[in-house]
Amino acid sequence: MKKSNIGKMLILFMLAAIMFSMNGCGAKPQQKTVSDSTELDSPLVIRLEGGDWGFPSPFAHYSRGPGMSKMRLIYDSLLEKGEKGLIPWLAKEWTISPDGREYTFVLNSGVKWHDGELLTAEDVKFSFEYFTKHPPVSNSLLIDGKPFIDKIEVIDECQVKITVNEPNATLLDRLGIVRIIPEHIWKDIEDPKKAIDLVKLVGCGPYTLTDYNQEQGTYRFQAFEDYWGPKVRVDVIEFIPVSDQVLAFEKAEIDLLDVPADLMDRYKNNEEYKILKSPAFWGYRLLFNMEKKPELSDVNTRKAIAHAIDVDELIEKVARGAAVPASPGYLPIDHIWHNPDVTKYEFDIEKAKELLNNKSLSLTLLISDDQKEARIAELLKINFAKAGINLEVRTVDMKTRDSQVKEQNYELALIGHGGWGQDADCLREVYGVTVARDASPVSNVIPGYSNPQINELCQKQLSELDEQKRKSMILDLQKLISDEIPLLPLYNTVEYMVYKPEKYDGWVHVFDHHAVTHNKLSYLEREK
Amino acid sequence: MMSNILKRFSTAGKISVFLITLVCFMAIFAPLLTKHPWNQPTGDALEPPSKAHILGTDDLGIDLWSQICYGARNSIAVGIGTALTACLLGTALGIIAGYCGGIPDLVISAVIDVLTAIPGLPLMIAAGAFFGPSIKNIILILSILSWAMPARIIRSKIISLKQEMYIKAAQGYGAGFSYITIKHFLPRIFPLSATSFIRLISKAIVSEASLSFLGLGDPTSKSWGLILNYALNFPGIYFTDYWKWWLVYPLLCIILLVLSTAVIGREFEKILDTKISSVV
Amino acid sequence: MKYQKAIRYLLTFFCIITLNFFLPRIMPGDPFYFLSSEQGEITITYSQEEIQRQKAYYGLDVPVLTQYGRYLKNIIKGDLGYSIYFNNDVRLIIKNRIPWSVSLVLLSVIIGGFIGTLLGCLSAWYRRGVLDKALYSLMIILSEIPAFLIGILFLLFLAARQGLFPLSGGMKPFAEYVSWSSRFLDIALHGFLPALTLAVVQMGGFYLIARNSMITVMSKDYMTTAKAKGLSTRRILFRHALTNAALPIVTRAFYSLGQAVGGTILVENVFKYPGLGLLMRQAVMVRDYPLIQGIFLTVTFFVIIMNLAADIIYKKLDPRII
Repeated sequence: MKKSNIGKMLILFMLAAIMFSMNGCGAKPQQKTVSDSTELDSPLVIRLEGGDWGFPSPFAHYSRGPGMSKMRLIYDSLLEKGEKGLIPWLAKEWTISPDGREYTFVLNSGVKWHDGELLTAEDVKFSFEYFTKHPPVSNSLLIDGKPFIDKIEVIDECQVKITVNEPNATLLDRLGIVRIIPEHIWKDIEDPKKAIDLVKLVGCGPYTLTDYNQEQGTYRFQAFEDYWGPKVRVDVIEFIPVSDQVLAFEKAEIDLLDVPADLMDRYKNNEEYKILKSPAFWGYRLLFNMEKKPELSDVNTRKAIAHAIDVDELIEKVARGAAVPASPGYLPIDHIWHNPDVTKYEFDIEKAKELLNNKSLSLTLLISDDQKEARIAELLKINFAKAGINLEVRTVDMKTRDSQVKEQNYELALIGHGGWGQDADCLREVYGVTVARDASPVSNVIPGYSNPQINELCQKQLSELDEQKRKSMILDLQKLISDEIPLLPLYNTVEYMVYKPEKYDGWVHVFDHHAVTHNKLSYLEREK
Repeated sequence: MMSNILKRFSTAGKISVFLITLVCFMAIFAPLLTKHPWNQPTGDALEPPSKAHILGTDDLGIDLWSQICYGARNSIAVGIGTALTACLLGTALGIIAGYCGGIPDLVISAVIDVLTAIPGLPLMIAAGAFFGPSIKNIILILSILSWAMPARIIRSKIISLKQEMYIKAAQGYGAGFSYITIKHFLPRIFPLSATSFIRLISKAIVSEASLSFLGLGDPTSKSWGLILNYALNFPGIYFTDYWKWWLVYPLLCIILLVLSTAVIGREFEKILDTKISSVV
Repeated sequence: MKYQKAIRYLLTFFCIITLNFFLPRIMPGDPFYFLSSEQGEITITYSQEEIQRQKAYYGLDVPVLTQYGRYLKNIIKGDLGYSIYFNNDVRLIIKNRIPWSVSLVLLSVIIGGFIGTLLGCLSAWYRRGVLDKALYSLMIILSEIPAFLIGILFLLFLAARQGLFPLSGGMKPFAEYVSWSSRFLDIALHGFLPALTLAVVQMGGFYLIARNSMITVMSKDYMTTAKAKGLSTRRILFRHALTNAALPIVTRAFYSLGQAVGGTILVENVFKYPGLGLLMRQAVMVRDYPLIQGIFLTVTFFVIIMNLAADIIYKKLDPRII
């Protein structure tokens, strides 16, 4: 009797001990900065949907998801993405030599690292060199897998000159977004992937990380009081795990809601809320493998397929209305260089049949086991059948699908991915690459397809340094692509963000990205 | 024999048999019972139950009653397919291991050990990702993972049967392995196999639903677990009224089917006096 | 006999370790290759050169057999490798998750065992009465419904519609607890529904075993004597009968600890509870080989140990079985 009691007590005790040990698991909160001690207002704390996306150092965040945007709150770069285009950031001005090979950046002075040290031109040089030796998770210093920097020189304490191998229209963007890291922290670190303690996380950005818990998926960012740049409006950003966004938003646990289309009415026409529509930079496209299915190399077959797809129905049923039809010329409607005059293919079964000469066609569509993709495939199958195209759907999990697309083991494949808002050079990577050099989502080759005209224009725009000339080339290129449709973009999704302006009203979209929470401008004061 | 068993069922058992018959009926006569196709939208998205759509529609506007009827085919196919394969395999290997002894027994027992020690679900997750999601593959994976249970029971039964006089006598007269198996073993182990068959059905149905729920099922076939998965992943499902039909009906169907097979399994055990649940 | 058993356990374990190595590797897909993303997500994709470099970093560029050799060597050293996706020591990641899963499993077995045993005793005492029959059917029903479905029901009604419990997670983020008791309460509140879900499923097994063994014990002579002596019902039931029927119940508890693992994986996914089950699913989705191996090994090890413990305790407590 006594014994069993003791046993029970022991088990209970063990249980309690386990529960208490839990907090010790994550990173220990570490107060590095004290902010707002002088201000009278209570600090503004914004809570957002979190989840674990990795330790936010340039080397350790996860390669998918918003880990990168969290890292960027801590680390600044020479230039920043603004609402219309690139804007000066750590570099207050820059010059490009006429031959397009020398980039000179003039740094702001008095920029402080989070540990109080001053940022120098040497730090900038060090960052570029360190990233060449130890590539960060997101590496913009490679074109088609190859480095392009020839040398980096420090001219004086606030000027850095970067010489590149050959002129290229995308380089300013690529150099501008490289994070600047402090030499005095990283110079002795040989394996930066494993440097995952908070002390190492010294940047010169507007925020410092004070808490990160991997299991719970929580982050806490605090404003850096000696920040060199615009005034920081949000004092604390907390990312917390949320299972049901709507519930959490209604309970005021989070301050921004990516509202499901079916619940929009709850917040529409309500003074208390504001709804922000995101640019459509995430989308689905249909890939054609013309090597495996030679019928597809006939442009009329591809056009027939395009006519047999009811994009509006897909948007209404699968995206619940929260999407826009994609452009057959690839660059979506919200892209700064979108061409509205591309050839369009409306839903027309008769036309599709006509283009197919009433022949029947049998195709296999590869999709991942994602619910939305399965839904799209279901709807495609129904309309294709009407046009005389028999569609067989093959489902594998996402990872398997990705590698089968890479190995070109498909006839038709459906993939969804982000990044449709990035520099128009993505057209070259999607349509103009003939050899699989790069594995990025927008750069797999189109098996069995090569169009000299498209390829030539793709190459030409890349070395065109005059922006206006380049833009008109890109517009032409889109028109060309829309006539050929070597692959078919389906639709681009739109997100609706709901928030209470009374609490915070600073949310803004930058020109190439779909999420307001991902850019640092949303948290900073802006000049009118 | 079967009608005899049925008569000795308790009320719960009889209800279960009725429910299962109902589900089988639904599965077999699905085309007659439904006026809408199961794979094409026939109404607006997310219509509540009405005369046109007695259980409402899902997010694509596909009739839920049709999906459930046709989904019954999947659940039953997975259940029976897996149970049959696993049971045959398990019985055969159990007899071989028990009768032959020696190296075959050692090998089979070792595999059984491994399969029973490994928690099934993680293995299913990994195997599911490898084989790819289709009904055939799911049946295959589940069979491979579940034959160990009948095999172990039958092996020990055979070992004890081997000691009995009449088997020894038959062996003495020069009866071969196949003769003894057919004449003596099969009749004696039939109740065991039958009971494990029923228990495997319910396990397989649960496993399929679990896999579908984790998003590892076959998204092109409409199984009940998949309908559930779709409904649960619909953003804001708890805040709209959609859960009332989209979530509740498939949930009820799975629970009822699993319960009925389980109850029948227990009834079988009681009547045939084979304790399996205590072994597993 | 004893050695044979030990060898068999070792052999099983070796098979599992091996399986554990090859299983993730035969899954199609590449841990470094992301072509697509979930809606609204951005992925970073690597060029061929970068993938090669990453593979070299994680030691995945050498032949599989060499990798296998290294893997075995590391396991003996207790090193489970470095996670590709989560970018951390696998041991550390697992160590941080174990308390959550283990406390869930423990708690559910304790709650389930306690309630199940109690009801089993009641049933046995009022054998063949209305209560017994009702309890019996109820318990059978509860024990057969898969745990994750019960979890969904709880989530829907108790958490989402009634708002009585948090929908997910293991504890309130950034909560500053004033005392250890508020902290305990918060964790308990988050863990309650998942633990209850698992407990409901466990209850049936305990109930049946408790009921059976109580019935057997109560038909014994000394119980009749106890009754004849006029001892109170409660005293007879809990003092005499239960202590005698404890053996199968304790054994059952250990088996349940092992068996609850499968259910826990699903239930953690229902409640997004930060344990090993949730992690396992993520790891499989991103093909994080070292992590999949690590979790699999931990889980299997746990199950085997629990089964072994059940065996040993059974023998210790009941010397008749050899």
